[in-house]
Amino acid sequence: MPLDGKRICGPEGTKSPLLFIPKKQTNLLDDNRKRTDGRHAEDLRPLFLRLGINSQARGSAYIEMNRTKVVATVYGPREIQRRREFDMKGQLLCEFKFAPFSCKVRRQYQPDNEEKALSSVLRETLEPVVCLHKFPKSRVDIFVLVLENDGSALAAAITCAGAALVDAGIDMYDVVIGCGLRQDEATTLVDPVYEEEYRPEDNHQSGEHGNMVLGFMPLLQQVAALQCDGELQPKTVSAALGMLMESCYGIYSIVQECLTESLKNKLKKREKDVTKVIS
Amino acid sequence: ANTDVLVGVKAELDAPESSQPNRGRLEFFVDCTANADPEFEGRGGEDLALGISSALSQAFSSSNCLDLCSLCVLPGQQVWLLYVDVLILECGGSLLDAVSLAVKAALMNTKIPAVTVNTTEEGSSEIEVSDDPYDVNNLEVSKVPCIVTLTRVGHQFVVDATKEEQACSIGHLSVAVTESGSLTAVRKTGSGSLHPESILDILQTAQEIGINLNQQLVEKVKLESSVKKDRRGFLT
Repeated sequence: MPLDGKRICGPEGTKSPLLFIPKKQTNLLDDNRKRTDGRHAEDLRPLFLRLGINSQARGSAYIEMNRTKVVATVYGPREIQRRREFDMKGQLLCEFKFAPFSCKVRRQYQPDNEEKALSSVLRETLEPVVCLHKFPKSRVDIFVLVLENDGSALAAAITCAGAALVDAGIDMYDVVIGCGLRQDEATTLVDPVYEEEYRPEDNHQSGEHGNMVLGFMPLLQQVAALQCDGELQPKTVSAALGMLMESCYGIYSIVQECLTESLKNKLKKREKDVTKVIS
Repeated sequence: ANTDVLVGVKAELDAPESSQPNRGRLEFFVDCTANADPEFEGRGGEDLALGISSALSQAFSSSNCLDLCSLCVLPGQQVWLLYVDVLILECGGSLLDAVSLAVKAALMNTKIPAVTVNTTEEGSSEIEVSDDPYDVNNLEVSKVPCIVTLTRVGHQFVVDATKEEQACSIGHLSVAVTESGSLTAVRKTGSGSLHPESILDILQTAQEIGINLNQQLVEKVKLESSVKKDRRGFLT
């Protein structure tokens, strides 16, 4: 990987102190069937969503799920400069970025492979949602920045980017809601925090295990994104899918409320501006 | 149309990642040559290459797929690093499926030289590679997955789609299936969306096909390695 030459890196062979912390073996659920943060297995974290946080962008949104914090901004649609990229359908440019301080280990400024892969996942999630035929020969830019990653960052990014597109007034078929899930044998945890997320480097010798992320369009009942890893059986995946869809409807009601609220505020502001001009 | 893929595996001794001191490493590199499509010229194939390599690493991410712990030589110091280099020579549809089959076949064929670790009196360790070129170990590949992609054409789903079928479709679901039938990765690609009810059918079909595909591949590779044919040229 190319190193950032503008910064002073530590001496050669330096290791992160986090490697020397002994790993704690904690159970996902305690004796009362509660998770480490006191939630039940199928509970979501409290969600905060606000639109229009960036006055310069066409549209923007900020989402907070306890300690997972994500900002998304939308610019465009703008004309495509290079002629060979012309398409009668609109194009989306997505950038998914972790802030350098967002994770336990410092992230580099240059996009790494994980960020590039997540960017293309995000693009493929938003493409079925946006009415691309309305923007021929043009491109919409969507930038997603994870300020703090405490699990389910991709899911939060999907919801946030969807809300930012709504705020930008881009024509869409439906809003899109993201939700994550962790499967560990018979235990299913919705909306996992960082410690609960499945990591392949930990040894899982037996049973089914894995992570799932769903991007769901609640009104059209369409799956815009589906990502699973680990080791799962088709039956488990479809059972988990049902659970995720249920949670997505839960998130959807919050998002809907937030969208109507923001629209009301926008209309009020416009009314004020109009009366100002008249007087 | 044909899909031609060439996969090579090279093993090197290298330091392990500091977060996983007793595991070997597996790295995928995909090169889309301009032979396959003039659009790949220069950096044009980079996006596709990155997509394929990230799909492969996602499919191989489960620790049960390929036992990386067996690739450890000296914990914390030296492990085997496997470079899986994929060269795409011709794209005729179902590229990801073909690549995953080729990767599995290449890993079955991979031979890792036997090494012994000697500890000297001062306490330092020396790694000695066996002199005998036939003193090699094979990798355990029974849990390595193959990827099955179902392509949505109209209201139906097609396996092993041709280039034309792919051009007509907007949504794909790629499923990595092991020989025992567990799914190690599922990902939706393409710009379309899928109905949740069809996903269960897709997954079950993909599982059946995947199990079959794995078995056929293993049989074919065994046959290929046992029979010595009079070959003229590489591609015949």
